[in-house]
Amino acid sequence: MMAHLPFLPVLIPLVTAVVLLIATKADIAVKRSISALSLGLLVTAAAGQVLVSDDGIVRVYRLGDWPAPYGIVLVLDRLAALMVVLTSVLAMPVFLAATSGTDERGLHFHAFLQFQLMGLNGAFLTGDLFNLFVFFEILLLASYGLLVHGGGLQRARAGIAYVVLNLSGSALFLIALGLLYGFLGTLNMADFGVALQAVKPEDQGVVAVMCALLVTVFLLKAAVLPIGFWLPHVYTAATLPVAALFVIMTKVGIYALLRVVTIGLLAAPFTAGLLQPWLTWLALGTIVLGATGMLASTSLGAVVANLVLVSGGTLLLAVAEPGAGSIAAALYYLVQTTLVTAALLLLADVLRRQRGEAEDRLVAGPRLQSTTVAGLFFLFFGVAACGAPPLSGFIGKIMVMQAMEGSAHPALIWTALIVSGFVAALVLARAASVVFWEPGAPDGTDKRDVSLVPASGLMLALGLLTASIIAVSVWAAPVASYARAAAEQMLARDAYVSAVIGDPAAVQRERRP
Amino acid sequence: MEVLVSVALGVLTATGVYLILRPTTFSVVLGLTLLSYAVNALIFFGSRLNAGAPPLSVAGLSNQTDPLPQALVLTAIVIGFGMTAYLLVVALKAKAESGTDHVDAGETR
Amino acid sequence: MAAGLASALVLAPEVFAGTTVLWRVAWLPEWGLDFALRLDGLGLLFTILILGIGVLIVLYAAYYLPKTDDLHRFYISLLGFAGGMLGIVLAENIVLMVVFWEVTSLTSFLLIAYKYQEVEARISARMALAVTGGGGLALLAGVLLLGSVAGSFDFSVIEARAGDVRADPLYPVILILFLLGAFTKSAQFPFHFWLPHAMAAPTPVSAYLHSATMVKAGVFLLARMYPVLAGTDLWFVIVSTVGAITFVYGAYVALLKHDLKGLLAYSTVSHLGLITLLFGLNTPLAAVAAVFHIVNHAIFKASLFMAAGIIDHETGTRDMRRMGGLFYSMPRTAVLAILAAGSMAGVPLLNGFLSKEMFFTAAVAHPGFDGANLILPVVATIGGMFAVAYSVRFVWDVFFGQPPQDMPKTPHEPPGWMRLPVEILVALVLFVGFLPQFSVGPLLTVAAEAVLPGAVPEIKLAIWHGFNLPLAMTVVAFGLGVFQFTRRHKLYALQERYTWRLTSPVAFERFYRGATRVSTSVMALVDSRSLQRNLVLFFSFVLVLGVWAWWTTGRAAGWVSTLTGPLPVGEVDLASAFAFAVLLFGAVSTVVYRRNRVMAVIFMSVTGAVVSLAFLRFHAPDLALTQLSVEVVTIVLLLMCLRYLPETPVAQSTGSRRLRDGVLATAAGVGVSAMAYAMLTRPYETIAGYHMANAKPGGGGTNVVNVILVDFRGYDTLGEIVVLAMAALGLHALLSGTRMQGPPTVALAKADRYPIMLAELMRPLLPLSLAVAVYIFLRGHNLPGGGFIAGLVAAVALMLQYVAGGVDFASERLRLNYVRLLGVGLGIATLTGVASFWFGASFLTSTHGYVYPPVIDKFELASAMAFDLGVFLVVIGTVLLAMTEIAALRRGETTAPAGAPAKDRG
Repeated sequence: MMAHLPFLPVLIPLVTAVVLLIATKADIAVKRSISALSLGLLVTAAAGQVLVSDDGIVRVYRLGDWPAPYGIVLVLDRLAALMVVLTSVLAMPVFLAATSGTDERGLHFHAFLQFQLMGLNGAFLTGDLFNLFVFFEILLLASYGLLVHGGGLQRARAGIAYVVLNLSGSALFLIALGLLYGFLGTLNMADFGVALQAVKPEDQGVVAVMCALLVTVFLLKAAVLPIGFWLPHVYTAATLPVAALFVIMTKVGIYALLRVVTIGLLAAPFTAGLLQPWLTWLALGTIVLGATGMLASTSLGAVVANLVLVSGGTLLLAVAEPGAGSIAAALYYLVQTTLVTAALLLLADVLRRQRGEAEDRLVAGPRLQSTTVAGLFFLFFGVAACGAPPLSGFIGKIMVMQAMEGSAHPALIWTALIVSGFVAALVLARAASVVFWEPGAPDGTDKRDVSLVPASGLMLALGLLTASIIAVSVWAAPVASYARAAAEQMLARDAYVSAVIGDPAAVQRERRP
Repeated sequence: MEVLVSVALGVLTATGVYLILRPTTFSVVLGLTLLSYAVNALIFFGSRLNAGAPPLSVAGLSNQTDPLPQALVLTAIVIGFGMTAYLLVVALKAKAESGTDHVDAGETR
Repeated sequence: MAAGLASALVLAPEVFAGTTVLWRVAWLPEWGLDFALRLDGLGLLFTILILGIGVLIVLYAAYYLPKTDDLHRFYISLLGFAGGMLGIVLAENIVLMVVFWEVTSLTSFLLIAYKYQEVEARISARMALAVTGGGGLALLAGVLLLGSVAGSFDFSVIEARAGDVRADPLYPVILILFLLGAFTKSAQFPFHFWLPHAMAAPTPVSAYLHSATMVKAGVFLLARMYPVLAGTDLWFVIVSTVGAITFVYGAYVALLKHDLKGLLAYSTVSHLGLITLLFGLNTPLAAVAAVFHIVNHAIFKASLFMAAGIIDHETGTRDMRRMGGLFYSMPRTAVLAILAAGSMAGVPLLNGFLSKEMFFTAAVAHPGFDGANLILPVVATIGGMFAVAYSVRFVWDVFFGQPPQDMPKTPHEPPGWMRLPVEILVALVLFVGFLPQFSVGPLLTVAAEAVLPGAVPEIKLAIWHGFNLPLAMTVVAFGLGVFQFTRRHKLYALQERYTWRLTSPVAFERFYRGATRVSTSVMALVDSRSLQRNLVLFFSFVLVLGVWAWWTTGRAAGWVSTLTGPLPVGEVDLASAFAFAVLLFGAVSTVVYRRNRVMAVIFMSVTGAVVSLAFLRFHAPDLALTQLSVEVVTIVLLLMCLRYLPETPVAQSTGSRRLRDGVLATAAGVGVSAMAYAMLTRPYETIAGYHMANAKPGGGGTNVVNVILVDFRGYDTLGEIVVLAMAALGLHALLSGTRMQGPPTVALAKADRYPIMLAELMRPLLPLSLAVAVYIFLRGHNLPGGGFIAGLVAAVALMLQYVAGGVDFASERLRLNYVRLLGVGLGIATLTGVASFWFGASFLTSTHGYVYPPVIDKFELASAMAFDLGVFLVVIGTVLLAMTEIAALRRGETTAPAGAPAKDRG
């Protein structure tokens, strides 16, 4: 099986989903067991990928045994392994939280969850741009299914907006891919970089347009300023375990940007700095937008959704100035912010379950049943989320700040990072004050649904996330040095290219027409 | 001929985008379909216009069309079909929940 | 805590010997964050203060706080806070110092909000967090900058490079960031306002936070950074000015406070201002005085807060206007408090006197102020005067005068254990006051060595320095202070008239709400939550970025010429021109007739048909077939959905909006046209030759497109059918249980509803069309066709059965669980891929061979065919599931009696 290791994170959820579909009439308990078993396997495989990839060798898995760039290959390097393991680790608590009843509020939850994981892992592992499109569609359609899971007007409405916007994005992706093939005659990522280097001056203008379109597709997924308004509405409409899973979705956009920039755009001088002037400003704008949105939020879920915007903006800073330091910082930040924001969303689910009609809105409501435990979780995740010491949020922030010291606008970037963290602290402190401390609603208005209350799966999920956040805080050095190694590997383009397509000069190309 | 094809793609795109921007869900579905025609055709014409025979790997045939764009378009068509069907149903669902076929499903602004 | 104190004392001899104890555990060395601690004289002094007073506070709190309280929370927060304070004073790594800095911000937030049921406590806690935490963020920025300037985050290294730091162009920025941190924490003007409101905390907390800890963290930072950042004019100007303002302002306001704790709080502000001022003077003597006053203030202020707590506890009020004469009911407490207050005022023989004398001496001796410039001595005297005034008031109003009648409780002495901490502290006040050199001399010397970069001036701690100017200042301050006290009621009247409420917690909350409101309106402005708006933004953004990329990159070759390639342009034939015209007509009509839905669908399908023809015209029969069959199914679905949508669409958009959208759409169209033309007129280099050459030998098929689909890029196809299956699942999940009202239909007999003619015609056609599907399926690998098209053909055939016979008729006969069918289809495709594992090959590696079935003669069987079977099943499953679900929407109202339970559909 070791030979197939790069493929397992795609195969395991696919097979699981197939089994779940065939066993569609089975009891929910059976489905949960199948899903749990599969997640265990997936985490093992993902951990195996990290261990294996840490030797610095770029591993290539040829699907159908066809060599790149002619067939589709999966490429397992440190970055891919990191993203896959993060996805798998995140999937565990999401699954556990969903077993507290969310998965019974509609059909096919577990199948969609598995398809979602398949799509995510496939996107992280593929070395082919068109295949990236296909897996984007898989993860998007799965996310549509998960978003509207649970029914209701708000979800249907958010569903339309999300689907239409993403279909427009997909159309743009296809236009970019059509032009990519039309101009460069290839689809493989490594070969894309090689082909970019060969573009003649008279073709550079149109090829640059194609690259800009490609980047825009990923900016939409990453929810960046002028095209990121969808995110808070989608996150607040979804059930909260689903929203927690969606946290990784914006990271797919960031991942794709990092990949396309390092392997592709940086290869040729005319594309290397193509969008840099834009990206820094968009990133800063996104951070400001998220901070403003946080202040305007009326529910904990909305606060966290805006935190996700802020972290997306922060990550985009690294894309704008790609270097070993900035990418390494961004990767560490990415890991921790994903865990932390997901944890806060699951905590918001505890509020939704225990506060009756007050849900997770920032108004005084009935006292929580598990006030102490929930309060401690809130304190812990809140500290991490606003980048306060000593948890991972702080570490990530100082890493990004240090990495940005040599950038074009260090003062602005530092100010944005610090002020956004400050706003997060204020907003979360007020949220805590209102939710945990303000006197509860008078008797009789508390219409909590008692059937939802026993939520051991949810609590276990929060425990798992706490453990992982502690782990990435205490063992920050190994995580950071892995991130650093991943960043250096990404920037070592020649090694990637020779691992994937061998000698670029030996690729068979024919001139047409 | 190249001009004709380019303009046709542009017209499909423009009408598609215009319809996507309409407030009714049904128009949006139509618009996305038109846009997908444009997109599929664009990918397809990545093999240019003046190529010869269909891409069959048969001895004696020469100057065949580039097969790769065709394969890509096939995948794109199928995915587009799945997406259209799904969007249609989401629109139905929103109509069932809100009673309107406005894309914002009656949200007050 | 006691254990911590003990262990600190164990290390003390080493510190007194002049060494700095270092201890290090690597945390994140590459990024400058290490768990590195140091114990030097300054650290030792603070450690003793923090832990020593901490022990007394815990003892005191045990008697002060009601037993019913949630004491775990209190002690955990308090211990966490003390730990944070220790971390600050012991950190060698300055990033670690920030870590602990924010730990104290956070734990003090929890401590101040201890009585969270009270709104004042909650808001005050948030205010304190906002100010001190915000300052901590500034400090963080300063620390990171300093680390990069000095090349290390280790304090020892930074200290050694102090000269370089002060010479660096970034020095002013670093200094200001550090000072922001220090001033916010130490409640310096204009950040002082959080401190008095932090009195909402229970008294033990106030006693701890505002004497030995929290606020002392700020002045500790000044002391710690003194060797690195001090000594410049900038430091002098900012630090001494802010300190002086705070010193006088705090003392003045303290006099006006009627609340016991309020008085003490502002007195704390004032004393912190004094310490800051001393550090700001940039002279060694002043720095020593600052360190000394840190100690003295901690001792007397802790005891005063505790005394205030006792009074509050025993009388039930803290309002000085409502008490008096307590000397008679609680004489021992009164004596203790009077001694401590005397120290606060600077009465000789008490410790406060000593440091105040040093301050006056430093003020007089400062090189910046020669005899002509008396501003500093005057400020010092004025501050001293107010200090005397409020101290006298504290003593007089509380312990003497007439006892009022309406005190909430009858006052009496507190339990002895509660008074013990106060007694210990007051004993220290006297001990230091009488025997300064013996008691604190050595400790002060090592602490001063840590603060002062050069030689430490000889510290002469003596009670009597002879008649000199400082003594004269003391006398003046006392005289004026007592005078001021007697005239205090005039001041109160003035205060009543011009109350300045800007700093109340209510103001903070109002400010926060204001920020929220502004953000909400900003968000409402930029984010209308409208899909159309988001789409407009998206398309515009794409256009802008695309044009920008073209504009900046295309310059070299000439902007327009980049859009035209070298290939010759082909002739337009008549058929193409006609097709173009039809396409144009179809597309535009779809837009025009979009509100007449059936017409719009028809025009759209006309457009689609032209696209299929174009595929055919340019040698893509597979595409044409697929496009056509997808078109058919799509249209059927569209028409099925149509009847559930309202007959009259929602209102038209306004004309201006349509104009805007039209412009945007045109721009998008022009963009695509331009890019398409650029592409069509350029030659390109492709990898497709490999596929042409290897389709037959490697993939076992001659239809290269199909071989690409099931073999070269079979993985894409697998993804594609996953998408299809998910679309079906998604609509199943969405529609399951949903019922919709269609337009009113005339009730028809069942026989009439499904035309018999059609039904009779269709039934025999089914096997025929299935046979066609099988044929298309089988030949797909070599000639146009394949699993997908076959699946669509079969699905259309089955669909026609639905149309002809009705949903119930068809599903009764099919008896298929479509979800399971999807699973099986996906499973077959996946298994085909996995099967190659057994041959040691990677996923989806194909194999093929020849079989000779009787009818078709020679027939090549590729493993890809099994894969195609999976595709076939998924397509059928998807289409049929979609059809039945949409059709079932209305079943509830037409075939089943109302209220019948929804049929279980898996």
